[in-house]
Amino acid sequence: MELLTPEGGTLFWTALTFIALLIILRKVAWHPILHMLEDREHRIKESLDKAEKARIEAEKTLAEQAQIIKTAQKTAQEIIGKSQKSAESIKEDIVKRAHLEADKMLQKAKRDIELSRDKAMEDIQELAVNLSMMATEKLIGRSLDEKDHKVIISESLSKLEDMN
Amino acid sequence: MLYNVAAKAVEQTAAQAGAEAGGGSEFIMHHILAQPVIKLPTIWGIDLTITNHIIMMWIASALLISAFTLAFRKKRQVPHGWGNMLESVVVYLRDDIIIPNLGDEGWKYSTYLFTAFFFILVCNLLGLVPGATSATGDIGVTTTLALMTFFIGQYAGIAKHGLLGYFKNFIPSGLPVFILPIMVPVEVMSLLSRHIALAIRLFANMMGGHISILSIMSIIFIFKSWIVAPFPFFLILFSALLEILIALIQAYVFTILSAVFIGLALEEEH
Repeated sequence: MELLTPEGGTLFWTALTFIALLIILRKVAWHPILHMLEDREHRIKESLDKAEKARIEAEKTLAEQAQIIKTAQKTAQEIIGKSQKSAESIKEDIVKRAHLEADKMLQKAKRDIELSRDKAMEDIQELAVNLSMMATEKLIGRSLDEKDHKVIISESLSKLEDMN
Repeated sequence: MLYNVAAKAVEQTAAQAGAEAGGGSEFIMHHILAQPVIKLPTIWGIDLTITNHIIMMWIASALLISAFTLAFRKKRQVPHGWGNMLESVVVYLRDDIIIPNLGDEGWKYSTYLFTAFFFILVCNLLGLVPGATSATGDIGVTTTLALMTFFIGQYAGIAKHGLLGYFKNFIPSGLPVFILPIMVPVEVMSLLSRHIALAIRLFANMMGGHISILSIMSIIFIFKSWIVAPFPFFLILFSALLEILIALIQAYVFTILSAVFIGLALEEEH
């Protein structure tokens, strides 16, 4: 066995061993490992892509939401404005109606008062006629025809009224 | 009685060691050279005797196969522990040695480079186990590996450029015709010598490490005294640590140079 001379047998056995090792390791190691690596790289890339897509989607949704909120605020503002206006008009309406009602009631009260006054006047007239009749009866001693009395008293009363 | 036997045994061992130390280089050569283990007949001029180096190679192969089989027995998306370490080495080889030098068209030769790296690494490291030797310290083993790199490179060149294009690679362009008779042999020589250097580099590094460790060890026997033992002990420890580093570096160097040589063969002629 020389130190610096390659032996034929060693060459043969090394080649045989190495080629066998190469074939076995290719099956049990390199193929599975490289496949796994590729798979994993593919999956990582896919996940990153997915995350990017999700991010864009989220941003879009956020923008949409902001838009929706803006619209809602505008609508709410409009509704408030409208209801304020309508409340104003309702208020005016109510006040107007109340005024009308009050006027009506006032008129009615006036009329009632007038009616009562007229009636009271009539009553007083009648009472006055009766009283005067009774008085004259006592003075004169005899009763005049009731009809005459009435005529006379009415005349005097109308005179009284004229004097007023 | 017992003491006498013990004393006799020590005496005998010392005498044997002394005799071995007498021929110090023989003692070293005995450990460096391949020793026949199983005698086999010579067929067509090839002595098929199985040496200890071949046994070491088989042990290395068995270790590699079982390590990878155990690590990647279960199909998983992410490997754990041992498999993780092996995978990181494979990723390193793929991304930093094979792809930069060979590219996509040379990817089919990656199997060879992966196997060569791990085979050389385990053979180198096994040489550090007491009682074992490293198969890569045998010129026959490294020659076989270098020949494989050589043949793969030439095959890759012929497969890509065709036979004519392959031979054109030996003719440097842009040179006057009268220089070609000098330049073509130079090109051929450079092709051959870099593969020879590939074999010798690995062999010499591994063998040199063993010779240095064995030489330091024989200091003890040359002085025939255990008083000097601590000195070689620390030197051997240091050398052994250095050997671990060299085992890794040489496996890396062989792999990257093989990748570069195959890559050179694949390159367009300029």
